[in-house]
Amino acid sequence: MSAARRLARAGAFAVACFVIVGPLASLAIWSLAERWTYPSPWPQRFGLRYWQRVVSGDFLEPLRLGVVIAVIVTVLALAMAIPLGYALARLTFRGRTVILLLFLLPQAFPQLPVFASATREFYRFGLAGTVAGVVLVHLVGGLVFAVWTMTAVFRSMAVELEEAAWNLGASTTRAFVGVSLPLAGPGIVASAVLVFLYSLDEFTGTLLVGSPFVTTLPVYMYTASLGYELQIASVTAIVLMVPGAALLLLLERFLKTEYLVFFGQV
Amino acid sequence: MLGAVFLWPLGVSIVASFTHDGAPSLASYETVWRLYMRDVVYTVAVAAAGTALTFAAAIPACGWLRLYAFGPVEFLLKVPLFVPFVVVGHALRVALNPYAPGLASSWAGIALALAWKHLGLAALLLLGAFRGVDESYLEAARNVGAGTGRLTRDILVPMAAPALGVSAILIFSSMLASFSIPLMMGRGSGPQMLMIDVYYRFGQHGDFATAAALGVVAYLLAMGAALVYVRRLTA
Repeated sequence: MSAARRLARAGAFAVACFVIVGPLASLAIWSLAERWTYPSPWPQRFGLRYWQRVVSGDFLEPLRLGVVIAVIVTVLALAMAIPLGYALARLTFRGRTVILLLFLLPQAFPQLPVFASATREFYRFGLAGTVAGVVLVHLVGGLVFAVWTMTAVFRSMAVELEEAAWNLGASTTRAFVGVSLPLAGPGIVASAVLVFLYSLDEFTGTLLVGSPFVTTLPVYMYTASLGYELQIASVTAIVLMVPGAALLLLLERFLKTEYLVFFGQV
Repeated sequence: MLGAVFLWPLGVSIVASFTHDGAPSLASYETVWRLYMRDVVYTVAVAAAGTALTFAAAIPACGWLRLYAFGPVEFLLKVPLFVPFVVVGHALRVALNPYAPGLASSWAGIALALAWKHLGLAALLLLGAFRGVDESYLEAARNVGAGTGRLTRDILVPMAAPALGVSAILIFSSMLASFSIPLMMGRGSGPQMLMIDVYYRFGQHGDFATAAALGVVAYLLAMGAALVYVRRLTA
Protein backbone atom coordinates (compact mmCIF):
# COMPACT_ATOMS: atom_id res chain seq x y z
CA MET A 1 0.00 0.00 0.00
CA SER A 2 1.33 3.41 -0.94
CA ALA A 3 2.09 6.07 1.67
CA ALA A 4 -0.61 8.32 0.19
CA ARG A 5 -3.24 5.57 0.58
CA ARG A 6 -2.19 4.99 4.15
CA LEU A 7 -2.37 8.68 4.91
CA ALA A 8 -5.85 8.92 3.33
CA ARG A 9 -7.03 6.01 5.46
CA ALA A 10 -5.65 7.52 8.64
CA GLY A 11 -7.24 10.87 7.78
CA ALA A 12 -10.65 9.32 7.03
CA PHE A 13 -10.51 7.33 10.23
CA ALA A 14 -9.63 10.41 12.29
CA VAL A 15 -12.50 12.42 10.81
CA ALA A 16 -14.98 9.58 11.34
CA CYS A 17 -13.77 9.16 14.93
CA PHE A 18 -14.21 12.85 15.67
CA VAL A 19 -17.68 13.04 14.14
CA ILE A 20 -19.07 9.74 15.40
CA VAL A 21 -17.21 9.05 18.64
CA GLY A 22 -16.99 12.72 19.71
CA PRO A 23 -20.59 13.17 20.93
CA LEU A 24 -20.57 9.72 22.54
CA ALA A 25 -17.31 10.47 24.31
CA SER A 26 -18.75 13.68 25.66
CA LEU A 27 -21.43 11.56 27.36
CA ALA A 28 -18.66 9.68 29.13
CA ILE A 29 -16.90 12.90 30.14
CA TRP A 30 -20.15 14.42 31.41
CA SER A 31 -20.93 11.31 33.45
CA LEU A 32 -17.65 11.83 35.29
CA ALA A 33 -17.85 15.62 35.56
CA GLU A 34 -18.66 16.65 39.10
CA ARG A 35 -18.27 20.27 38.16
CA TRP A 36 -18.22 21.76 34.68
CA THR A 37 -19.23 25.35 34.07
CA TYR A 38 -18.99 27.50 30.97
CA PRO A 39 -16.55 28.58 29.49
CA SER A 40 -14.12 25.99 30.82
CA PRO A 41 -13.27 23.61 27.94
CA TRP A 42 -12.85 20.74 30.38
CA PRO A 43 -14.60 19.72 33.65
CA GLN A 44 -13.17 21.44 36.70
CA ARG A 45 -13.60 18.38 38.87
CA PHE A 46 -13.83 14.69 37.92
CA GLY A 47 -15.31 11.92 40.05
CA LEU A 48 -17.52 8.87 40.27
CA ARG A 49 -20.13 10.54 42.46
CA TYR A 50 -22.90 10.43 39.85
CA TRP A 51 -22.23 6.82 38.91
CA GLN A 52 -22.46 5.89 42.58
CA ARG A 53 -25.64 7.88 43.02
CA VAL A 54 -27.23 6.31 39.98
CA VAL A 55 -26.30 2.73 40.71
CA SER A 56 -27.33 2.89 44.36
CA GLY A 57 -30.42 4.99 43.78
CA ASP A 58 -33.71 4.99 41.97
CA PHE A 59 -32.19 3.98 38.65
CA LEU A 60 -32.47 0.23 39.11
CA GLU A 61 -36.26 0.18 39.21
CA PRO A 62 -36.71 1.79 35.74
CA LEU A 63 -34.08 -0.61 34.39
CA ARG A 64 -35.87 -3.63 35.86
CA LEU A 65 -39.28 -2.44 34.65
CA GLY A 66 -37.92 -1.72 31.16
CA VAL A 67 -36.43 -5.21 30.90
CA VAL A 68 -39.66 -6.85 32.11
CA ILE A 69 -41.71 -4.88 29.54
CA ALA A 70 -39.21 -5.66 26.78
CA VAL A 71 -39.35 -9.41 27.54
CA ILE A 72 -43.16 -9.46 27.48
CA VAL A 73 -43.24 -7.43 24.25
CA THR A 74 -40.66 -9.71 22.59
CA VAL A 75 -42.50 -12.92 23.49
CA LEU A 76 -45.89 -11.60 22.40
CA ALA A 77 -44.59 -10.03 19.18
CA LEU A 78 -42.76 -13.18 18.07
CA ALA A 79 -45.65 -15.47 19.02
CA MET A 80 -47.76 -13.48 16.56
CA ALA A 81 -45.09 -12.69 13.97
CA ILE A 82 -43.70 -16.21 13.39
CA PRO A 83 -46.95 -17.75 12.06
CA LEU A 84 -47.93 -14.51 10.32
CA GLY A 85 -44.50 -14.09 8.72
CA TYR A 86 -44.61 -17.70 7.54
CA ALA A 87 -48.02 -17.21 5.99
CA LEU A 88 -46.95 -13.95 4.32
CA ALA A 89 -43.81 -15.54 2.90
CA ARG A 90 -45.23 -18.87 1.75
CA LEU A 91 -48.87 -18.44 0.90
CA THR A 92 -50.58 -16.28 -1.62
CA PHE A 93 -53.95 -15.21 -0.35
CA ARG A 94 -56.27 -12.30 -0.87
CA GLY A 95 -55.42 -9.31 1.22
CA ARG A 96 -51.77 -10.28 1.53
CA THR A 97 -50.58 -6.93 0.19
CA VAL A 98 -53.07 -5.12 2.43
CA ILE A 99 -51.64 -6.88 5.50
CA LEU A 100 -48.08 -6.05 4.51
CA LEU A 101 -49.12 -2.46 3.92
CA LEU A 102 -50.80 -2.34 7.32
CA PHE A 103 -47.51 -3.37 8.88
CA LEU A 104 -45.75 -0.50 7.14
CA LEU A 105 -48.12 2.24 8.24
CA PRO A 106 -46.60 2.82 11.69
CA GLN A 107 -43.26 3.07 9.92
CA ALA A 108 -44.40 5.57 7.33
CA PHE A 109 -46.46 7.94 9.46
CA PRO A 110 -45.42 10.24 12.31
CA GLN A 111 -46.09 8.21 15.44
CA LEU A 112 -46.49 10.85 18.12
CA PRO A 113 -49.96 12.13 17.10
CA VAL A 114 -51.19 8.54 16.93
CA PHE A 115 -49.76 7.73 20.35
CA ALA A 116 -51.39 10.86 21.76
CA SER A 117 -54.70 9.67 20.39
CA ALA A 118 -54.06 6.16 21.72
CA THR A 119 -53.36 7.59 25.18
CA ARG A 120 -56.72 9.30 25.13
CA GLU A 121 -58.46 6.06 24.14
CA PHE A 122 -56.48 4.13 26.77
CA TYR A 123 -57.84 6.44 29.47
CA ARG A 124 -61.32 5.15 28.73
CA PHE A 125 -60.22 1.59 29.41
CA GLY A 126 -58.00 2.35 32.39
CA LEU A 127 -54.89 1.43 30.38
CA ALA A 128 -53.15 4.80 30.52
CA GLY A 129 -50.35 4.90 33.05
CA THR A 130 -50.24 1.08 33.30
CA VAL A 131 -47.63 -1.46 32.26
CA ALA A 132 -50.26 -3.17 30.09
CA GLY A 133 -50.81 0.07 28.19
CA VAL A 134 -47.09 0.52 27.59
CA VAL A 135 -46.78 -3.11 26.43
CA LEU A 136 -49.61 -2.52 23.94
CA VAL A 137 -47.98 0.60 22.55
CA HIS A 138 -44.60 -1.12 22.25
CA LEU A 139 -46.28 -4.01 20.46
CA VAL A 140 -47.15 -1.69 17.55
CA GLY A 141 -43.51 -1.02 16.70
CA GLY A 142 -42.37 -4.44 17.88
CA LEU A 143 -44.82 -6.22 15.59
CA VAL A 144 -43.72 -4.16 12.61
CA PHE A 145 -40.08 -5.17 13.17
CA ALA A 146 -40.95 -8.79 13.92
CA VAL A 147 -43.36 -9.36 11.02
CA TRP A 148 -41.02 -7.85 8.45
CA THR A 149 -37.93 -9.67 9.64
CA MET A 150 -39.76 -12.98 9.98
CA THR A 151 -41.27 -12.62 6.49
CA ALA A 152 -37.79 -11.93 5.11
CA VAL A 153 -36.35 -14.91 7.01
CA PHE A 154 -38.95 -17.39 5.74
CA ARG A 155 -38.77 -15.97 2.23
CA SER A 156 -35.00 -16.52 2.10
CA MET A 157 -35.38 -20.22 3.00
CA ALA A 158 -35.58 -22.72 0.17
CA VAL A 159 -39.10 -24.08 -0.10
CA GLU A 160 -37.69 -27.38 -1.43
CA LEU A 161 -36.74 -28.49 2.08
CA GLU A 162 -40.34 -28.23 3.22
CA GLU A 163 -41.50 -29.95 0.06
CA ALA A 164 -39.16 -32.84 0.82
CA ALA A 165 -40.73 -33.19 4.25
CA TRP A 166 -44.24 -33.14 2.73
CA ASN A 167 -43.22 -35.77 0.19
CA LEU A 168 -42.06 -38.01 3.03
CA GLY A 169 -45.53 -37.74 4.51
CA ALA A 170 -45.15 -34.94 7.05
CA SER A 171 -48.17 -32.76 7.64
CA THR A 172 -47.92 -28.99 7.06
CA THR A 173 -47.68 -28.41 10.80
CA ARG A 174 -45.08 -31.15 11.23
CA ALA A 175 -42.97 -29.75 8.39
CA PHE A 176 -43.25 -26.27 9.86
CA VAL A 177 -42.24 -27.34 13.39
CA GLY A 178 -39.65 -29.92 12.32
CA VAL A 179 -38.02 -28.24 9.31
CA SER A 180 -38.88 -24.57 8.86
CA LEU A 181 -38.72 -23.48 12.49
CA PRO A 182 -35.22 -24.89 13.25
CA LEU A 183 -33.90 -23.48 9.97
CA ALA A 184 -35.33 -20.09 10.86
CA GLY A 185 -33.63 -20.25 14.29
CA PRO A 186 -30.92 -17.63 13.70
CA GLY A 187 -33.42 -15.32 12.04
CA ILE A 188 -35.81 -15.69 14.98
CA VAL A 189 -33.00 -14.82 17.39
CA ALA A 190 -32.10 -11.75 15.34
CA SER A 191 -35.74 -10.70 15.22
CA ALA A 192 -36.13 -11.20 18.99
CA VAL A 193 -33.03 -9.15 19.75
CA LEU A 194 -34.32 -6.38 17.50
CA VAL A 195 -37.74 -6.26 19.18
CA PHE A 196 -36.20 -6.45 22.66
CA LEU A 197 -33.87 -3.52 22.00
CA TYR A 198 -36.64 -1.53 20.35
CA SER A 199 -38.83 -1.91 23.42
CA LEU A 200 -35.98 -1.16 25.83
CA ASP A 201 -35.14 2.08 23.99
CA GLU A 202 -38.68 3.17 23.10
CA PHE A 203 -39.34 6.65 24.43
CA THR A 204 -42.23 8.48 22.73
CA GLY A 205 -44.99 5.93 23.33
CA THR A 206 -43.79 5.21 26.86
CA LEU A 207 -43.71 8.89 27.77
CA LEU A 208 -47.25 9.46 26.52
CA VAL A 209 -49.02 6.27 27.55
CA GLY A 210 -46.97 5.40 30.64
CA SER A 211 -46.95 8.81 32.27
CA PRO A 212 -46.92 9.38 35.15
CA PHE A 213 -46.64 5.90 36.67
CA VAL A 214 -44.55 3.81 34.26
CA THR A 215 -40.94 4.98 34.13
CA THR A 216 -38.50 3.12 31.93
CA LEU A 217 -34.87 4.17 31.42
CA PRO A 218 -35.43 6.57 28.48
CA VAL A 219 -38.19 8.34 30.42
CA TYR A 220 -35.99 8.42 33.53
CA MET A 221 -33.24 9.97 31.44
CA TYR A 222 -35.58 12.61 30.04
CA THR A 223 -36.81 13.52 33.53
CA ALA A 224 -33.22 13.86 34.74
CA SER A 225 -32.22 16.10 31.84
CA LEU A 226 -35.36 18.20 32.34
CA GLY A 227 -34.16 18.93 35.88
CA TYR A 228 -30.73 19.89 34.49
CA GLU A 229 -29.19 16.79 36.07
CA LEU A 230 -27.04 16.37 32.98
CA GLN A 231 -24.65 13.95 34.70
CA ILE A 232 -27.42 11.58 35.80
CA ALA A 233 -28.89 11.70 32.30
CA SER A 234 -25.45 11.00 30.81
CA VAL A 235 -24.91 7.94 33.00
CA THR A 236 -28.35 6.67 31.96
CA ALA A 237 -27.62 7.37 28.30
CA ILE A 238 -24.46 5.27 28.49
CA VAL A 239 -26.35 2.40 30.10
CA LEU A 240 -29.01 2.68 27.37
CA MET A 241 -26.38 2.49 24.64
CA VAL A 242 -24.67 -0.63 25.94
CA PRO A 243 -27.17 -3.21 24.58
CA GLY A 244 -27.16 -1.64 21.12
CA ALA A 245 -23.37 -1.42 21.05
CA ALA A 246 -23.06 -5.05 22.15
CA LEU A 247 -25.45 -6.03 19.41
CA LEU A 248 -23.51 -4.11 16.79
CA LEU A 249 -20.27 -5.82 17.79
CA LEU A 250 -21.72 -9.31 18.14
CA LEU A 251 -24.06 -9.42 15.20
CA GLU A 252 -22.39 -7.22 12.62
CA ARG A 253 -21.82 -10.08 10.21
CA PHE A 254 -25.02 -11.81 11.09
CA LEU A 255 -27.55 -9.01 10.78
CA LYS A 256 -28.58 -8.42 7.22
CA THR A 257 -28.94 -4.94 5.80
CA GLU A 258 -32.71 -5.14 5.77
CA TYR A 259 -32.79 -5.60 9.54
CA LEU A 260 -30.36 -2.76 10.05
CA VAL A 261 -32.63 -0.39 8.15
CA PHE A 262 -35.32 -1.03 10.77
CA PHE A 263 -32.83 -0.11 13.42
CA GLY A 264 -32.58 3.43 12.18
CA GLN A 265 -36.12 3.97 13.39
CA VAL A 266 -35.51 3.39 17.10
CA MET B 1 -53.98 -5.82 17.50
CA LEU B 2 -52.42 -3.28 15.16
CA GLY B 3 -55.92 -2.10 14.30
CA ALA B 4 -56.82 -1.44 17.94
CA VAL B 5 -53.62 0.31 18.95
CA PHE B 6 -52.70 2.06 15.70
CA LEU B 7 -55.46 2.31 13.10
CA TRP B 8 -58.24 3.14 15.54
CA PRO B 9 -56.36 6.01 17.26
CA LEU B 10 -55.20 7.22 13.84
CA GLY B 11 -58.81 7.35 12.65
CA VAL B 12 -60.02 8.94 15.90
CA SER B 13 -57.40 11.67 15.64
CA ILE B 14 -58.28 12.49 12.04
CA VAL B 15 -62.00 12.67 12.87
CA ALA B 16 -61.31 14.76 15.98
CA SER B 17 -59.27 17.25 13.98
CA PHE B 18 -62.36 18.02 11.87
CA THR B 19 -64.72 18.28 14.82
CA HIS B 20 -65.51 21.10 17.24
CA ASP B 21 -68.00 20.63 20.11
CA GLY B 22 -69.35 17.53 18.43
CA ALA B 23 -70.11 19.18 15.11
CA PRO B 24 -68.02 19.04 11.93
CA SER B 25 -65.79 22.07 11.85
CA LEU B 26 -62.51 23.42 10.59
CA ALA B 27 -61.89 25.39 13.80
CA SER B 28 -58.81 23.31 14.69
CA TYR B 29 -57.25 23.97 11.33
CA GLU B 30 -57.91 27.70 11.78
CA THR B 31 -56.00 27.48 15.07
CA VAL B 32 -53.17 25.69 13.30
CA TRP B 33 -53.15 28.35 10.59
CA ARG B 34 -53.21 31.18 13.13
CA LEU B 35 -50.69 29.88 15.68
CA TYR B 36 -48.56 27.23 14.06
CA MET B 37 -47.84 28.15 10.44
CA ARG B 38 -44.45 29.49 11.46
CA ASP B 39 -43.66 26.19 13.20
CA VAL B 40 -44.71 24.22 10.11
CA VAL B 41 -42.30 26.23 7.96
CA TYR B 42 -39.61 25.95 10.64
CA THR B 43 -40.04 22.16 10.85
CA VAL B 44 -39.79 21.71 7.09
CA ALA B 45 -36.72 23.97 7.02
CA VAL B 46 -34.96 22.12 9.86
CA ALA B 47 -35.75 18.74 8.27
CA ALA B 48 -34.47 19.99 4.89
CA ALA B 49 -31.29 21.38 6.47
CA GLY B 50 -30.78 18.13 8.39
CA THR B 51 -31.26 16.05 5.22
CA ALA B 52 -28.83 18.27 3.30
CA LEU B 53 -26.28 17.96 6.09
CA THR B 54 -26.66 14.18 6.21
CA PHE B 55 -26.03 13.89 2.49
CA ALA B 56 -23.18 16.40 2.53
CA ALA B 57 -21.40 14.05 4.94
CA ALA B 58 -22.64 10.70 3.64
CA ILE B 59 -22.01 11.17 -0.10
CA PRO B 60 -18.24 11.84 0.09
CA ALA B 61 -17.83 9.25 2.86
CA CYS B 62 -19.71 6.53 1.00
CA GLY B 63 -18.10 7.45 -2.34
CA TRP B 64 -14.68 7.04 -0.79
CA LEU B 65 -15.71 3.78 0.89
CA ARG B 66 -17.11 2.44 -2.39
CA LEU B 67 -13.80 3.12 -4.15
CA TYR B 68 -11.42 2.13 -1.34
CA ALA B 69 -13.18 -0.29 1.02
CA PHE B 70 -12.04 0.34 4.58
CA GLY B 71 -13.83 -1.63 7.30
CA PRO B 72 -13.16 0.51 10.37
CA VAL B 73 -14.64 3.68 8.82
CA GLU B 74 -17.66 1.80 7.49
CA PHE B 75 -18.23 0.39 10.98
CA LEU B 76 -18.06 3.86 12.55
CA LEU B 77 -20.54 5.25 10.04
CA LYS B 78 -23.09 2.60 11.01
CA VAL B 79 -22.77 3.27 14.75
CA PRO B 80 -25.55 5.94 14.85
CA LEU B 81 -28.05 3.26 13.78
CA PHE B 82 -27.65 1.65 17.17
CA VAL B 83 -27.83 4.79 19.28
CA PRO B 84 -31.45 5.52 20.23
CA PHE B 85 -32.94 8.91 19.27
CA VAL B 86 -33.27 10.04 22.92
CA VAL B 87 -29.62 9.30 23.58
CA VAL B 88 -28.55 11.16 20.43
CA GLY B 89 -30.52 14.22 21.52
CA HIS B 90 -28.93 14.22 24.94
CA ALA B 91 -25.43 13.42 23.65
CA LEU B 92 -25.43 16.28 21.14
CA ARG B 93 -26.83 18.62 23.78
CA VAL B 94 -24.06 17.90 26.28
CA ALA B 95 -21.44 17.82 23.50
CA LEU B 96 -22.39 21.29 22.26
CA ASN B 97 -23.27 22.97 25.55
CA PRO B 98 -19.78 23.52 27.03
CA TYR B 99 -18.48 25.07 23.81
CA ALA B 100 -21.45 26.82 22.29
CA PRO B 101 -24.27 27.33 24.78
CA GLY B 102 -27.53 28.06 23.03
CA LEU B 103 -26.54 26.24 19.86
CA ALA B 104 -28.08 22.96 21.03
CA SER B 105 -31.63 24.29 21.24
CA SER B 106 -31.31 26.33 18.03
CA TRP B 107 -32.37 25.15 14.58
CA ALA B 108 -28.74 24.43 13.68
CA GLY B 109 -28.23 22.25 16.76
CA ILE B 110 -31.38 20.24 16.07
CA ALA B 111 -30.45 19.82 12.38
CA LEU B 112 -26.97 18.71 13.42
CA ALA B 113 -28.29 16.11 15.87
CA LEU B 114 -30.82 14.82 13.33
CA ALA B 115 -28.07 14.57 10.71
CA TRP B 116 -25.84 12.66 13.15
CA LYS B 117 -28.55 10.11 13.91
CA HIS B 118 -29.48 9.62 10.24
CA LEU B 119 -25.89 9.27 9.08
CA GLY B 120 -26.07 5.55 9.88
CA LEU B 121 -29.17 4.98 7.80
CA ALA B 122 -27.83 7.14 4.96
CA ALA B 123 -24.54 5.23 4.95
CA LEU B 124 -26.40 1.94 4.78
CA LEU B 125 -28.62 3.01 1.89
CA LEU B 126 -25.96 4.94 -0.05
CA LEU B 127 -23.29 2.26 0.22
CA GLY B 128 -25.80 -0.28 -1.03
CA ALA B 129 -26.64 1.94 -3.99
CA PHE B 130 -23.01 2.82 -4.78
CA ARG B 131 -21.97 -0.83 -4.62
CA GLY B 132 -24.63 -1.57 -7.22
CA VAL B 133 -22.79 0.63 -9.74
CA ASP B 134 -20.86 -1.54 -12.17
CA GLU B 135 -17.09 -1.51 -11.75
CA SER B 136 -16.48 -1.14 -15.51
CA TYR B 137 -17.84 2.44 -15.56
CA LEU B 138 -15.49 3.41 -12.74
CA GLU B 139 -12.63 1.65 -14.49
CA ALA B 140 -13.25 3.57 -17.71
CA ALA B 141 -13.36 6.92 -15.91
CA ARG B 142 -10.22 6.06 -13.97
CA ASN B 143 -8.40 5.32 -17.21
CA VAL B 144 -9.04 8.85 -18.40
CA GLY B 145 -7.70 10.21 -15.14
CA ALA B 146 -10.74 10.76 -12.86
CA GLY B 147 -9.94 10.98 -9.13
CA THR B 148 -12.09 10.09 -6.12
CA GLY B 149 -14.06 13.35 -6.24
CA ARG B 150 -14.83 13.14 -9.95
CA LEU B 151 -15.74 9.45 -9.75
CA THR B 152 -18.19 10.16 -6.92
CA ARG B 153 -19.71 13.26 -8.50
CA ASP B 154 -19.85 12.20 -12.14
CA ILE B 155 -20.35 8.43 -11.95
CA LEU B 156 -21.58 7.17 -8.57
CA VAL B 157 -24.10 9.92 -7.71
CA PRO B 158 -25.80 10.13 -11.16
CA MET B 159 -26.02 6.35 -11.49
CA ALA B 160 -27.42 5.92 -8.00
CA ALA B 161 -29.74 8.93 -8.30
CA PRO B 162 -33.04 7.04 -7.88
CA ALA B 163 -31.80 5.36 -4.71
CA LEU B 164 -30.49 8.68 -3.43
CA GLY B 165 -33.89 10.27 -4.01
CA VAL B 166 -35.69 7.53 -2.10
CA SER B 167 -33.21 7.79 0.78
CA ALA B 168 -33.68 11.55 0.91
CA ILE B 169 -37.47 11.21 1.14
CA LEU B 170 -37.25 8.61 3.92
CA ILE B 171 -34.74 10.64 5.92
CA PHE B 172 -36.62 13.92 5.42
CA SER B 173 -39.89 12.37 6.64
CA SER B 174 -38.21 10.80 9.62
CA MET B 175 -36.69 14.16 10.59
CA LEU B 176 -40.03 15.89 10.15
CA ALA B 177 -41.63 13.49 12.60
CA SER B 178 -38.79 13.53 15.10
CA PHE B 179 -39.82 14.18 18.66
CA SER B 180 -37.20 12.90 21.09
CA ILE B 181 -34.24 14.75 19.58
CA PRO B 182 -35.77 18.27 19.71
CA LEU B 183 -37.27 17.45 23.11
CA MET B 184 -33.91 16.42 24.57
CA MET B 185 -32.02 19.30 22.96
CA GLY B 186 -34.05 21.70 25.06
CA ARG B 187 -36.72 24.20 24.20
CA GLY B 188 -35.25 27.48 23.07
CA SER B 189 -37.43 30.49 22.53
CA GLY B 190 -38.91 31.01 19.10
CA PRO B 191 -40.39 28.46 16.71
CA GLN B 192 -40.62 24.78 17.63
CA MET B 193 -40.60 21.48 15.79
CA LEU B 194 -44.10 20.26 14.93
CA MET B 195 -44.04 17.15 17.15
CA ILE B 196 -43.11 19.27 20.16
CA ASP B 197 -46.18 21.40 19.42
CA VAL B 198 -48.38 18.29 19.22
CA TYR B 199 -46.99 17.07 22.55
CA TYR B 200 -47.54 20.33 24.43
CA ARG B 201 -50.90 21.06 22.79
CA PHE B 202 -52.09 17.63 23.88
CA GLY B 203 -50.33 17.28 27.22
CA GLN B 204 -50.36 20.76 28.70
CA HIS B 205 -53.27 22.49 27.01
CA GLY B 206 -55.39 19.33 26.86
CA ASP B 207 -56.46 20.50 23.40
CA PHE B 208 -56.73 17.22 21.56
CA ALA B 209 -58.50 18.59 18.48
CA THR B 210 -55.75 21.07 17.62
CA ALA B 211 -53.05 18.50 18.44
CA ALA B 212 -54.81 16.11 16.06
CA ALA B 213 -54.99 18.77 13.33
CA LEU B 214 -51.25 19.38 13.72
CA GLY B 215 -50.85 15.61 13.43
CA VAL B 216 -52.80 15.56 10.15
CA VAL B 217 -50.52 18.30 8.78
CA ALA B 218 -47.55 16.11 9.72
CA TYR B 219 -49.14 13.04 8.04
CA LEU B 220 -49.53 15.04 4.84
CA LEU B 221 -45.95 16.30 4.95
CA ALA B 222 -44.70 12.75 5.50
CA MET B 223 -46.83 11.40 2.64
CA GLY B 224 -43.73 11.09 0.45
CA ALA B 225 -42.33 8.38 2.68
CA ALA B 226 -45.64 6.53 2.73
CA LEU B 227 -45.72 6.53 -1.08
CA VAL B 228 -42.15 5.23 -1.23
CA TYR B 229 -43.07 2.32 1.03
CA VAL B 230 -46.20 1.53 -0.96
CA ARG B 231 -44.33 1.58 -4.27
CA ARG B 232 -41.61 -0.64 -2.90
CA LEU B 233 -44.24 -3.10 -1.74
CA THR B 234 -46.24 -3.22 -4.94
CA ALA B 235 -43.19 -3.26 -7.21
